[in-house]
Amino acid sequence: MIEQLKIDFEKLIKNSNFSKKNVEIKRKSFHNFIEKGFPNRREENWKFSDLNQIISKNIKNLSFYNDLSKPNKIDQSIFIDGLEHNKLVFVNGRIEKIEFDYEEKNKIEILDDLVLEKSNDDNNSLLSLNNAFVSKYFKLIVKKNYSLQKPLVIYNITNKDLVSKSINLKVDIFLEENSSLKLVDFSDDKSNTNFINVNYSFDLQKYSILKNYKIDNNSNNNIKYYFNYISQEINSVSEIFLLSSGSEFIKNEINCNLRGKYSSAFVNGIFILNKKKHHEIKTNINHLVENTKSYQLIKGVLEDTSKAVYQGKIFVDSKAQRTNGYQLSKAILLNDNTEFNAKPELEIYADDVKCSHGSASGSLNEDSIFYLMSRGLNYNEAKKLLINGFLLDVVEKITDSEIKNLIKNIMSLKQ
Amino acid sequence: MLKIKNLKADIESKSILNNFNLEIKPGEVHAIMGPNGSGKSTLSNILSGKKGYDISGEILFENKNLFELETEERAHKGIFLAFQYPLEIPGVNTNIFLKTSLNAIRKARGEKELDAIEFLKLVKLKAKELKFDEEKLNRQLNVGFSGGEKKKNEILQMSILNPKLSILDETDSGLDIDALKIVADGVNSLRKKDNSFLIITHYQRLLDYIKPDYVHVLMKGKIIKSGGAELALELENKGYENFN
Repeated sequence: MIEQLKIDFEKLIKNSNFSKKNVEIKRKSFHNFIEKGFPNRREENWKFSDLNQIISKNIKNLSFYNDLSKPNKIDQSIFIDGLEHNKLVFVNGRIEKIEFDYEEKNKIEILDDLVLEKSNDDNNSLLSLNNAFVSKYFKLIVKKNYSLQKPLVIYNITNKDLVSKSINLKVDIFLEENSSLKLVDFSDDKSNTNFINVNYSFDLQKYSILKNYKIDNNSNNNIKYYFNYISQEINSVSEIFLLSSGSEFIKNEINCNLRGKYSSAFVNGIFILNKKKHHEIKTNINHLVENTKSYQLIKGVLEDTSKAVYQGKIFVDSKAQRTNGYQLSKAILLNDNTEFNAKPELEIYADDVKCSHGSASGSLNEDSIFYLMSRGLNYNEAKKLLINGFLLDVVEKITDSEIKNLIKNIMSLKQ
Repeated sequence: MLKIKNLKADIESKSILNNFNLEIKPGEVHAIMGPNGSGKSTLSNILSGKKGYDISGEILFENKNLFELETEERAHKGIFLAFQYPLEIPGVNTNIFLKTSLNAIRKARGEKELDAIEFLKLVKLKAKELKFDEEKLNRQLNVGFSGGEKKKNEILQMSILNPKLSILDETDSGLDIDALKIVADGVNSLRKKDNSFLIITHYQRLLDYIKPDYVHVLMKGKIIKSGGAELALELENKGYENFN
């Protein structure tokens, strides 16, 4: 693989017009990746999901160079129906559409010719890979006091021409003071066995609000990694919701830093997995100052031989008095060959702190099934009602009613 | 309507019911009384199709072999069990559940399914009759309901589904006297020439309000004595121990 990597990297540098500075940073990141490779289970963070093994098992002849010179057609039919929204559309890793029809043009700014920052990717080889191979790096700035009128949907589409490629996207979102954004991540994959590596960075200035709904619902056999770095100033709020269901493998990593007093972070997630799908949610919520709050609720329904992992960490700095941290995970295992791994971690250095965690997994309650069947529902209807009931409270945590309805529709949870 | 012949039921090779016989005709109300562990709940579970028992003998419901029907098919044919311990189903709205249930049964019977408005009209009427707090119907099924509310909810379901054979498994236990009267009124309002009831209870108390046509005494998995309503009083005076 290393030979392929080197060839592909040189090809990328040769065929692109990166600034000298960017090439320098890219080389550094590239070498870091060469040195470390894909993470494996010897790393604590990857102990339940050996990415190196997953990639070698699922992707034959992974290549890293992606020709972005020609535009791709966008299949409009996959756009979310019944929801007015702004669009950022990536097809096979190439940006194909930037459309902010609903917004005041001077209230948002999009930069795409950025110098890579020397991001601290030394410990995360996937960020190094991303830095090395990302072709265009986007930044969206929402100006002070502006709330986007409509949600922004970032479409990450791959079509069937794409096979065994490594796709790298990098998007920064900067929310200025008292601004707000609803962001939906929506992927549609008709492609096969690719590795899709997305690096998000969210900077929330004081009083700003980010709502990010990540929908991975369409069945596909790609391997994905989403890294989400969140930095929050005074009184800012982040709300992340994950529907983790469609991909063969996906790991969503959320690294949230509560740097400003009264800032709060919410992470709610649902796994609905079948076949041999393997998904992970990994969070690091860092309470760095006093009076901050975090809340995490993760639920899963696992079928066949699927596997879900939730590693949730709450870190409370010695300065972070009056922290309120909560996390709970629950899973229903529909048969004996499924696996749910939950690793709660609390690391607390302050003394005036309220933190709790819990995790439970079990099978569907047969008595409940019998009760529903005795009222005329067949086994599958009873099962579906129980599962939907089990998952509903996570969906109810979504604070945007329009998107809550959309997600209920997608999950056919509409009652 | 219901004919049980030589029913024998074991669970994990422990005999629960043995040589159990019972016939219920349309319009009749039968009460089965018995001490703890006599097999009362097993009987109601078996009638509604709960798995996990080794069963022999025969049960005919309207001349159809009940053992050939799944739990939901029995519900479609008009068998209803009011549970001794109604289950809490988190995340499932009570109204939605009731509508799903009613429409599943109507559909199986070839009747038109009710739309939301028709359903709400029906449920409002029934809830009012049973003095059931309508606001509770918008909550999760049985979650946070008191014991009495859960039991009333069973009777509400019964009156909405309008079954042919209703089995009340210790519906009176945990009810205060006012709730008991409401439940009894609910049952009595459903008494028609085609609807039958099997009332399973420890106590004679409920039978003050729902007058049974027959009373059976169940001991160690077998009916040891049958008689009219007066048998319940006799039982109450003597106690199970001195009976026989």
